Amino acid sequence: MNSALVLVAFAAPLWAAVNPQAAVEANTALALAQQGKYEQAIPHYRAALKLDPHLPGIQLNLGLAYFKLNRFADAASWLERAAKADPASFQAQVLLGMSYYGCRRFAEAAASLKRASVNQPANTELRFRLAQSYLWSKQYDSAKDEFKILLAANPDSAPVHILLGEVLDAANQEEQATAEFEAAVKVSPTEPEAHFGLGYLYWKQKRYEDARKEFQAEVANQPQHSQALAYLADAEMHSDLASNAEEHLRQALKLDPKIRLAHLDLGILLADRNGSEAAAHLREAIRIDPSKPDAHYRLGRLWLSMGRQAEADAEFAQVKQLAEQQQPEPLVAVPGRHADGPQ
Amino acid sequence: MRSVNPAAPVVLVLSLMALGWMASGQAPAPIRFVYHPIDFTLDSSEMPERHAPETMAGGVALFDYNNDGSLDIFFTNGADIRTLKKDSPKYSDRLFENDGHGNFRDVTEKAGLAGIGFDNGVAVGDYDNDGHEDLFVGGVHGNRLYHNNGDGTFTDVTAKAGLNQPDPQYGPLWSVGGAWLDVNNDGRLDLFVVNYLAWDGRNEPVCEAGPGRRDYCHPKFYKPTPNQLYLNNGDGTFRDVSAESGIRSHPGKGMGVGIADFDLDGLVDIFVTNDKVYNSLFHNKGNGKFEQIAFEAGVALTENGQFISGMGVDFRDLDNDGYPDIAFVALDNETFPIFRNLGKGRFTDVTESSGMARLSAPMAGYSPTIADFDNDGWKDLFVTRGHVQSLAYAPRVQVEQPNTVFRNLGGLKFQPLTAEAGLTAQAPRRHRGSAVGDLNHDGRLDVVTTAISAPAEVWINDSPGANHWMELALEGTKSNRDGIGARIKLIAGGSTQYTHVSFAAGYASSSAGPIHFGLGRSQAAESIEIRWPSGVVQELKDVHADQVIKVTERM
Repeated sequence: MNSALVLVAFAAPLWAAVNPQAAVEANTALALAQQGKYEQAIPHYRAALKLDPHLPGIQLNLGLAYFKLNRFADAASWLERAAKADPASFQAQVLLGMSYYGCRRFAEAAASLKRASVNQPANTELRFRLAQSYLWSKQYDSAKDEFKILLAANPDSAPVHILLGEVLDAANQEEQATAEFEAAVKVSPTEPEAHFGLGYLYWKQKRYEDARKEFQAEVANQPQHSQALAYLADAEMHSDLASNAEEHLRQALKLDPKIRLAHLDLGILLADRNGSEAAAHLREAIRIDPSKPDAHYRLGRLWLSMGRQAEADAEFAQVKQLAEQQQPEPLVAVPGRHADGPQ
Repeated sequence: MRSVNPAAPVVLVLSLMALGWMASGQAPAPIRFVYHPIDFTLDSSEMPERHAPETMAGGVALFDYNNDGSLDIFFTNGADIRTLKKDSPKYSDRLFENDGHGNFRDVTEKAGLAGIGFDNGVAVGDYDNDGHEDLFVGGVHGNRLYHNNGDGTFTDVTAKAGLNQPDPQYGPLWSVGGAWLDVNNDGRLDLFVVNYLAWDGRNEPVCEAGPGRRDYCHPKFYKPTPNQLYLNNGDGTFRDVSAESGIRSHPGKGMGVGIADFDLDGLVDIFVTNDKVYNSLFHNKGNGKFEQIAFEAGVALTENGQFISGMGVDFRDLDNDGYPDIAFVALDNETFPIFRNLGKGRFTDVTESSGMARLSAPMAGYSPTIADFDNDGWKDLFVTRGHVQSLAYAPRVQVEQPNTVFRNLGGLKFQPLTAEAGLTAQAPRRHRGSAVGDLNHDGRLDVVTTAISAPAEVWINDSPGANHWMELALEGTKSNRDGIGARIKLIAGGSTQYTHVSFAAGYASSSAGPIHFGLGRSQAAESIEIRWPSGVVQELKDVHADQVIKVTERM
């Protein structure tokens, strides 16, 4: 979060306030902030504000101190006031947008960053954050526009390709999303997440052999990438390379024991030769996400193969129940209405 | 009476294809079809209210109704959806007689097969063993059994046969088709009726794809209904044994039925696809009893445990290992699942490993048929495609689609052929039923397909290559006359193939031609072994290729 964008810090001149004591507090706070002592600066800012609520720039600087401490909700609260006091302040809008972003209030972040971008349309990093805010707030059309602007200015930026790919994927434009990830991999083969993202898209398209190669490349770049290891194993299982999969699954779970896919796949892999360990993994997959029917179905079939009919029936009952709960989106039944049909 | 002459369009299409190949320099696809029009348009009475049966119509059968050696075509058709009556000629079911060269003449009127209700599916079978194929027509709240009189006419014997009784618990049922099979090997064909869901036009849910935009409802808004099994008494009547056989206690939302003796115990079993409900596999235990073992056998669901829109199905050996496999189809993103029979009563889902998952993920299918379209000795998979939703739903999904044939490359790997196979010669449609057989006696299997509110399509197989073939027309004596349930093992060129006699394939349809084998480069079959349902085993040696062999069950 401490990007160049937010290095607007503490640049205000030393205060000479109407209330001399307020000025003392404010200047003390400023000096502390400039030394990176934000925790210590905050009480002085607040004291200054109490003595003189109209001290210019004080809310902005207090907000910035909170921002520097990653206390984004507090930062947003003061920066909202700063922005209100000076709606034309680029710094206030940027900081407020970034604070909202930190609070995962992406729609509000986008609105603030959009206002800021009017002042600095060529500010790449600002536009990048704005585009991300659009993406995470599911404003896909706006996100797409922003990323395209960014891409025109930075055609070799792998992160921009990646994020545009994410936007397109979220907008169900799978083919174009894939093209963006492929471009990211091409311009920067070592860019973190590029191979993983591309592999994931291939995986979704059931292009397992292609996916396997991408996950493998991500693991080469980031050997500790637990998700890449899990998906690599899954792609291997679908590519008749199951012999490699077990080791990758175990590595993934060692790095992150909460990866459901890895437990599910290990349960499937071990079903024929180690029923009890397979069952343990399938149970763990169910514990992590009980709403997915696949692990219940697999566990039911495992119990059957082990002659445990009652437990199998219980799992199959779960599968049926979960399937009944599936929502038939996007078709919606209109309550209380019936067609005018045959008499 | 109507007739069509296909010569002109065929020549035109062939010329265009030749130009295309020359221009692209590409070799022709190993399976190719040429479109051939036929004067039938499926009319399911589509209305803005979107009543469910409108989108499910479209059964078709290929069978030789007059025993002249050529396959004729029967189409089911809809009715006024408000009355379920065929109150206009446009709703007539239709029978087209084949002149032996692939030209068809409408003989519906003479045959007496126009029908009276909203008809959905068709099953062909000689239930009285008189040598003339009869028709079961399943429909919405009314089924029909037509006895073939052998003189080009049929008689509606539904009431006499005892097939007209509404269900005491569920009321009138909606049958999407059925299958003839001999469940007890007594030499008489019994009838399995596939019922879809509980539909009441007076009390139908209303579903919207957007404000004010009605579309067909998800199956979950309707209650399931049971399938039915009727035992043939041998005197033209049937006995409903649905309850005592165990079939009735497993209601579903049946869309397709495949029959095969999957565990090779000599008793034919039944697989039913259900729409957004788990599939049913009814294992024939003998003595008229069935047990539903889909979960145990691994065919209830695909490997991800999701309920999918199971549509039509075919149940036939795809990998030539002697065990019948299951291929069925579903909607987009649900894939066209393939369950490989491992023997020992177990199947494994090979949809992913066969590549079919990736190939079929963007597709919506209705009617799959397993058959060898390039005569290379590997059975392929022809799928009619089209979405269940109305045309107004098109912005969300591809509602109208072309058909596709998945060429079996051996080892359960497939190559999809759509435009390459000539199947884009017609506009995409909401295709429904399909039936397969050699319509023009050239040794290559042709396909007839239907589509909602669109003309039917006859796809004449024009595949290149000089592979050899053989067809077996079985005639049971101790077994049922159609030989349904007979298992056949053929060895040619050192390769072994297996299949069995079943006319039930695809969605709501019936393919009742002779049993077809592609022999590849082999000019003869070294050995053909037929295991009749009666238990009789018959073997033929050194049979020349490229002919239809009539085989009568040894007494």
